[in-house]
Amino acid sequence: MTSETVTNGVMTKIEFIHAGPLVSVQDKGRFGALSYGVAASGPMDMDAYDRAGDLLNDVGRPAGNSVVECATGRHAFRVKGTPIVAAFCGGSFNLKINNVSQNWERAHQLVDGDSVEIVPGAKGNYATIRFDREIDVPQVIGSCATNSIAHIGGYKGRSLKSGDKLALVACSPSEGAVGDRGRGVKMPSLEALAEENAQPEPIRFIWGLHADLFPLHIRKLFISEEFAISPLLDRMGVRLVDKAKVFQDRQNLSLVSDAVVPGDIQIIGDGTPVVLMRDHQPTGGYPRIGTLISSDISTFAQLRPGTRVRFSPVTIDKAHGILDDIFAKHAAKRAR
Amino acid sequence: MVSYDRMRVGGGGAKPMLLPLGDRALLVRFGTHLGEDVNLRAITATRCLISADLDGVEEVSPTLVSVLIRYDPQKIGFFALSNAVRLALCEPDITALASNKSIDLEVVYGGAEGPDLDFVAAQCGLSATAFIKAHNQAQLRVLATGFAPGFVYCGLHVPELQIARRTSLHAKVPPGSIIFAAGQTAITATHVPTGWHVIGRTKFRNFAVSKNPPIKLQAGDIVSFSGGQKQ
Repeated sequence: MTSETVTNGVMTKIEFIHAGPLVSVQDKGRFGALSYGVAASGPMDMDAYDRAGDLLNDVGRPAGNSVVECATGRHAFRVKGTPIVAAFCGGSFNLKINNVSQNWERAHQLVDGDSVEIVPGAKGNYATIRFDREIDVPQVIGSCATNSIAHIGGYKGRSLKSGDKLALVACSPSEGAVGDRGRGVKMPSLEALAEENAQPEPIRFIWGLHADLFPLHIRKLFISEEFAISPLLDRMGVRLVDKAKVFQDRQNLSLVSDAVVPGDIQIIGDGTPVVLMRDHQPTGGYPRIGTLISSDISTFAQLRPGTRVRFSPVTIDKAHGILDDIFAKHAAKRAR
Repeated sequence: MVSYDRMRVGGGGAKPMLLPLGDRALLVRFGTHLGEDVNLRAITATRCLISADLDGVEEVSPTLVSVLIRYDPQKIGFFALSNAVRLALCEPDITALASNKSIDLEVVYGGAEGPDLDFVAAQCGLSATAFIKAHNQAQLRVLATGFAPGFVYCGLHVPELQIARRTSLHAKVPPGSIIFAAGQTAITATHVPTGWHVIGRTKFRNFAVSKNPPIKLQAGDIVSFSGGQKQ
């Protein structure tokens, strides 16, 4: 351990030898800043964030609120300093520690000099790495989540680059592992994930702010036809491929700008459906046909380009019932 | 000065529509087109709802024509919240409504700071000097924030100063840009793309992450502009 690693209570650092695309520091999100023009950001896969917290707790470790999130690509970092425990969750990525393959969706101890490599595996767009430490970056408007359009939070308001170092500091053991209330009990095996891949469930949504502006036949086609995830996706939004041309006859509506929430499905000027994600603009003027229910946003975020997807409407009571079930299961797990 | 009255929120005008926006937000929408009255009702309702401090509500944020309420579905359901919102809007707390800041912003019009000034003046049938004079005389209200960090929409201008958006986009305009279209003047606080006309620039910055709150201007505040072209 060099003297550099033992200043300001910092006992461990991780240094990115190779940072692939969209490596960002996130926490639960920066809530309450919409009127300042700043969306909450936060984990693309909130379930993975919560599972990682559970994994740390299962091995008797506290879970930091801050995490590193990586998109598909090759990422490598080296650990310097005192040992830490890191939980790796979200989709299915290939993890190597010191060149030896290790299980994904698992907590691993990392010691001084360890090198960690993450490359895309069978599925998923976003990997989440949560530590039994807090990432030492400033709180900006009450959160350390990186917002990629406002360029605030996280590490200097941006994605990490090769050569960047993150200091890890002790986190309070009292910190709960759970991020967004009612999330994070699923702990799917790889077999279950493969199953899911073969028989994708429809993504559930609630009819949206402007649903009544879409003619009935378009609304019917929206829930009967299949769409595909396009390669144009990031933390702001996911463009869909509309092979059935459901929205080709849409009218270009001139709408007053109104509030946007994560999961909103908007139809932009050329007829492309775009699902807005965590780094969405706080307001927007395109018509929105629906909004994904919050328990399905994480699932949707992990769908890779080319994946076919259908949308299924639910009532708001049904959506709340789903959240209640998840919450109850989680409470039961906590009580054990 | 803008005056608020009880009728504007609860009694006067059409009742607002209460709509779900996903399973964690409720939108109180006062209209689908921007107008003075609709906007004023949205701003007033926002202040009422913040002051009402309803159970289960996590955030109240106004837009041009509506109020977004983010809530925790573990604490309150959509229909219970709808009832609570309607009740809160029927009995607005007028004392919570009366604090509007007034600010005058120094602007350099035209030139490199406002490349679209001459075009805009011509569209309004005015010389650049006459347009600046008219723009300086306007007393505007902050209609909404939220489009981008610190960004404010101010309006509404008199009909003589209402022109359409540009046909092409400015890919990026700098912070402090004074942009003009659709009956409004907006002030940017970060680099943003815009389809509005850029008429000038101010040193005023409505966004500082180190401050709490990070913005100085909020919906409802009164804004005027002073200044002229660079000599």
